Amino acid sequence: MMALVTIYIDGKKIIAGSEKTILEVARENNIEILTMCHLKGLTDVGACRLCMVELEGSPKLFSACTTKVADNMIVTTNSERIRRYQRITTELFFAERNHICAVCVSNGACELQDLGYKVGLDAIRYPHLFPQCEVDTSHPLYVMDQNRCISCSRCIRACAEVEGAYNWDMMNRGYQIRVISDFNTLWGESTTCTSCGKCVQACPTGALWAKSIVQGQQDKHPEFITDLMERRKMNL
Amino acid sequence: MNKKKLATVWLGGCSGCHMSLLDIDERILEVAKLADIVKSPVVDGKDFPEVDIALVEGSVTSDEHLAELLHIRKNTKTLIAFGDCAAMTNVTGMRNYFDLKDVFETSYVNSISNDQEGEVPDNPYLLRLHDKVLPLQECVPVDFVIPGCPPNADTIFYVLFEFLNDRTPNLSEAKKLKYG
Repeated sequence: MMALVTIYIDGKKIIAGSEKTILEVARENNIEILTMCHLKGLTDVGACRLCMVELEGSPKLFSACTTKVADNMIVTTNSERIRRYQRITTELFFAERNHICAVCVSNGACELQDLGYKVGLDAIRYPHLFPQCEVDTSHPLYVMDQNRCISCSRCIRACAEVEGAYNWDMMNRGYQIRVISDFNTLWGESTTCTSCGKCVQACPTGALWAKSIVQGQQDKHPEFITDLMERRKMNL
Repeated sequence: MNKKKLATVWLGGCSGCHMSLLDIDERILEVAKLADIVKSPVVDGKDFPEVDIALVEGSVTSDEHLAELLHIRKNTKTLIAFGDCAAMTNVTGMRNYFDLKDVFETSYVNSISNDQEGEVPDNPYLLRLHDKVLPLQECVPVDFVIPGCPPNADTIFYVLFEFLNDRTPNLSEAKKLKYG
């Protein structure tokens, strides 16, 4: 039997199971918290820093996806400070790689675009890095375009936790971070990839896409990963 | 009532934003009631005059663009970055991942259609491309941004109409934000 705790999110009193994260409890109660790296069914890693919330009694911000609820916790999700950080984080996503919506397969069906609209991003106040990025087209079915990657690691977790193939991983740190196939070799030469396409479905942007589509035709269903994991739990 | 002065400018872009501006169709008459379009690629005119509102399409790619933009900033009350290229360099900025020298050689020398006989133009009257294409706000203060590739005609009209009536538009509240 799960212990119950009382928490307050934006002044709303909520009774919740102590095993849950702040994000889970907020979503169950229709309180919106922005996320990019969270995909229900995959392990949360707190990579994107969009779900930061304030906890009363601490000057620090906490990532709602990796912080468990505790009794009498007082959470704020929508202060001026949090909105400011969300906007900064979103702008840095755009400034760090080359997100050219006009020529992207995901134009109009992109979680990063939607995020921009939600935080009211009209321009990027930081200098763009304009990095020269690899586009790996060696796989017969799919493309990995580093220009559009936001390093959320949803592909890596979908590959490891759902498919069990462990094709994807991360290399380097900071702005030089790159998602790699096997030991940084061509995706088409991978000995671990099963070509299942779960990484493509999990990817929130146009970084991973199927070769069968062109600009603006992306139609991803990351909820299928969630559904699959829920069904597996039921079978157990 | 004094009519406002409106200018539209085409820097490093494809003119698609101006095409979208023309797509406001008969609503241009509403704009014409409140403003005179005194400088634009679609009207005759010489130097850029003092204006109330300037819609500036495209990014800053060269010395010529930069000089033009600095002049526009000096003579404009409300400078609007018009479209994704002006706001975040967009397709125009795709050459930023490469050395300018390589970009020139790819375009003028090594392109298949040149049969290896082309050369990089070097006439002193030509503009000088900058190493990096920049969005407007990295060169001058920008008062308002309309992203989009191109922005919707409805969005353009909304922004113009608000400014012409001395109100400040809010794309986020109006649910008119769009990139790409």
